[in-house]
Amino acid sequence: MMSLPLVVLLPFLGAPLAAWSVRFGRLGAPWASGGITLVTLLVLLGVAEAPFAGRTMVERLPWLGSAGLDLAFRLDGLGLLFALLILGIGLLVIFYARYYLEAEDCLGRFYTYLMLFMGAMLGIVLSENLVQLVVFWELTSLTSFLLISYWQGSEEARRAARMSLVVTGAGGLALLAGVVMLGEMVGSYALSDVLAAGDQVRAHPWYLPMLTLVLLGAFTKSAQFPFHFWLPAAMAAPTPVSAYLHSATMVKAGVFLLARLFPVLSDTPAWSGLVGGFGLATFLLGAYFALFKHDIKGLLAYSTISHLGLIMLLLGIGTPLAAVAAVFHIINHATFKASLFMAAGIIDHEAGSRDMRKLNGLWKYMPHTALLAMVAAASMAGVPLFNGFLSKEMLFAEAVGVQTQMAFGWLLPVVVTVAGVFAVAYSLRFIYETFFNGEPVGLEHTPHEPPRWMKVPVEILVLLCLVVGILPALTVEPILAVGVSGLLHGPAPEYSLAIWHGFSPALLMSVLALAGGVGVYAFRAPLFALAERMGGRFEAVRFFWRGHDGLLRWADRANPWQDGVSLTTMVLALVGAGGIVGLAGHLGGGSPLAGGATPTPLDPVSLLLGLGGIAAAGAAVVLHRRRLASVILLGAVGLVIALVFIRFSAPDLGLTQLSVEVVTLILLLLALYFLPQHGPAEDGAARCLRDGVVAGLAGLGVGLVSWAILTRPHETIADYFLEQAKPGGGGANVVNVILVDFRGFDTLGEIAVLALAGLGIFAMLQHLYLPGPAKDHAGRGWDPDRHPPIMASLTRLLLPLALLVSFFIFLRGHQLPGGGFIAGLVTAVALIMQYLANGVSWTQARLPAHLHGIMGTGLLVATGTGLVAMALGYPFLTSTFDYFHWPLVGEVELASALAFDLGVYLVVVGTTLLVLIHLGMVHRASHGVSGNPVGGQ
Amino acid sequence: MLDYLLAFLILLGAGFTFIGSLGLARLPDFYTRLHGPTKATTLGVGAMLVASAIHFSVGEGGPSLHELLVTLFLFITAPVSAHLLSKAGLHLRLRSRAPAPGKASGEQRD
Repeated sequence: MMSLPLVVLLPFLGAPLAAWSVRFGRLGAPWASGGITLVTLLVLLGVAEAPFAGRTMVERLPWLGSAGLDLAFRLDGLGLLFALLILGIGLLVIFYARYYLEAEDCLGRFYTYLMLFMGAMLGIVLSENLVQLVVFWELTSLTSFLLISYWQGSEEARRAARMSLVVTGAGGLALLAGVVMLGEMVGSYALSDVLAAGDQVRAHPWYLPMLTLVLLGAFTKSAQFPFHFWLPAAMAAPTPVSAYLHSATMVKAGVFLLARLFPVLSDTPAWSGLVGGFGLATFLLGAYFALFKHDIKGLLAYSTISHLGLIMLLLGIGTPLAAVAAVFHIINHATFKASLFMAAGIIDHEAGSRDMRKLNGLWKYMPHTALLAMVAAASMAGVPLFNGFLSKEMLFAEAVGVQTQMAFGWLLPVVVTVAGVFAVAYSLRFIYETFFNGEPVGLEHTPHEPPRWMKVPVEILVLLCLVVGILPALTVEPILAVGVSGLLHGPAPEYSLAIWHGFSPALLMSVLALAGGVGVYAFRAPLFALAERMGGRFEAVRFFWRGHDGLLRWADRANPWQDGVSLTTMVLALVGAGGIVGLAGHLGGGSPLAGGATPTPLDPVSLLLGLGGIAAAGAAVVLHRRRLASVILLGAVGLVIALVFIRFSAPDLGLTQLSVEVVTLILLLLALYFLPQHGPAEDGAARCLRDGVVAGLAGLGVGLVSWAILTRPHETIADYFLEQAKPGGGGANVVNVILVDFRGFDTLGEIAVLALAGLGIFAMLQHLYLPGPAKDHAGRGWDPDRHPPIMASLTRLLLPLALLVSFFIFLRGHQLPGGGFIAGLVTAVALIMQYLANGVSWTQARLPAHLHGIMGTGLLVATGTGLVAMALGYPFLTSTFDYFHWPLVGEVELASALAFDLGVYLVVVGTTLLVLIHLGMVHRASHGVSGNPVGGQ
Repeated sequence: MLDYLLAFLILLGAGFTFIGSLGLARLPDFYTRLHGPTKATTLGVGAMLVASAIHFSVGEGGPSLHELLVTLFLFITAPVSAHLLSKAGLHLRLRSRAPAPGKASGEQRD
């Protein structure tokens, strides 16, 4: 059993399980998700020794072999570290969210999204194939869209979700382009090959454009300046989502990507300039803006942006020691930021506000939570004895270390220290203004401690902050070393994890940052005044919405060009374009219109059929204003076509045409009820003439094309099918054998589309209320006798007969004209007759039709037939047949394709009934009565 | 001999169908015209079905039961459609040449 695909697959399997488990009570979803996550974690731990032993584990499943793509999964130190973070923090978030979400929130939906997201994230960090990585990358964008917009009722949440999808989705597109370039440069999309080809990539002329595209993907995902604006907006999500996505996982995907490609892309001036530069800017600006946010989650969001910038800066610096610091900070940030978000959620939950201008003095009301939040905030500020201090000091040391290597190098330690100052200031503000600073202002209810178990995830994370901060070498060292070696794709460098490194520039910077932070906070008034005056004028989010609105306005202006015109004009354009292209092709090709084949001589029957069709079509044109008459005439045209099929030895098509014609007629009549009985008059002879000319030319064109095709000698594959139908498919009816056997896969796709279309129509009709006319066009009321007894009772008599015919057609389909599709239509018509004759409620009381179930069963049966073949070791949908001797009946051939045909039958019945019945129900609603049954009176 | 019988039956059916169509076209009002197609379906199609049943039973060596089913369908549906048509005609108060049967429907005459 392959472990890595299982690790990725399990959460995806858990998603439907979570949705389903709410049936067993509200807490089913958290239990199911938690259980699945735990199992996934155990499976991962089962193979975790490989990276610790220095091995990289790669497991492949064949996928698109012809395109050189496999589903390949890879476990090395970096992937293991991230997968542990995703699963570990995911477990805590699952636990936490169970207490956070209110009774009216749908837990099933939340946990389903969460599991999907978790699976996508695991897919990113465990991918060996770059294209596959991008696929999972996009999946995280989509699932995070769902999670951010979880509270769909809030417009803010919807807008935030849309914004994050636009930004990260656009980044994903850039990343895809970058990855394709990278793969083409290396000649392989396998990560192992790419990682080994670093020198080749860096020397390649495409290096810079490829790097830019990859960085666009990473920067948008990791909320780097200037794409950072979606992250604060995404705080509209439920807090567990923020704790998960915006501390440990989603935003870390960008960082992960750069860490993953670090051995290939780094060590060039462009890399240090771009990654280091944008990282540094984000680090500083995020820390600065965080100070002025009044919303706790807003502050934490900007702080997250800043810390992501810090990690980017470390990756940009690019020395092995900086890589150690980056990995270390990824771990530390995940722990303290997840716990802070959870604490913010507790405060929001128990105090009813996240505004620091209202929340004051919470220490008195929730001392336990306050203590936990303070420890985590101290870690965020980089106070000694907490884990944030260690990685931040490593950053300071690196900043000092590389300053000699570039122009204006002295700026780096200075800017880093300034950013550190702001980090201390906002952490201080968070603690002081939330838990101290007087009494709460205008809270709706008195804050209190949360349920005991809600604090447990926070406690675990805060404990980790402390233990790692005090005893780094004993706790985090092994996993850190493994992660670093995975990042560097080689052995980790020498480094020491200790709190005390002696007096060094880094220590000085730490002290400066702490003292400066306290100072800035103490004298914050002028800074706040400045921030007030700027009023967010330069916030990138405004530019985003301005661009967004501009695009929509532009689209509004562009739309009329394409669909604001009348139907007539559109048809004219379509027909005209077809005519011009056809004519140009014909004139350019230079071949004669008629080919060499001799036409079949005209016989009287065909002539009569043709004339009948022309007469009916012509009459429909003349009488088109009388809608009922023209519908009936169109039915006559359909009938003629059915006869033509039969005349030219296509009884299957004839049968299909007949049954489709009946269903279409019922559909049109049902719809016609809501329309005026007469079409509007045309406005003038000139218009009639123009339309007539266009229609005539179109008909002439189609006629000429048919002439040209039919007079050419041509080879078809029909002969092959005719030969193979009996020996290969076991059926004498070639049409049916093609449908259910030779082209079974096509048919499967088609019935899936049919079922989807039926569901779509159902969704549109479901709550439709159309006021039907109370009187007919002459002002007469409707006949009060809705279900005439003669019709009602005789139709009931008809049902078993019709079903018998349908069964007959179905069974003989493999040998003689018939099959699942026609049988399905016949059954549907027979049942619809009951609805029409006896009324909806009468029929449904006797024939409870779970149409969705029927359609679903049909699809399952059809797919199942294919899967059975696969299970027996044949390709999907391979059919088999054998002959059996039945008593009384004689020799009977049974093909497995019959089961497939049954699926087709069920889908056709379900879809047709679903559409017609619900159209009829719209009908019924318009009468304002409940379709009285004749038998029930 | 059999061929003559079949030909006769088919011609008989065609004749009835033709008369039915003629009636549909020529009879003076809706209610009388209703007779045309209903007679054509029962007698005209009936004769053809008998011809078909004989032909296939003899030709294929076993009784052909399809025609029985078709007959059953026709016998069930033809009266229903005729009934519905006449009901609709009554509801729409179409002109009838027949004298009013009594006071109850006397006001329906134009």
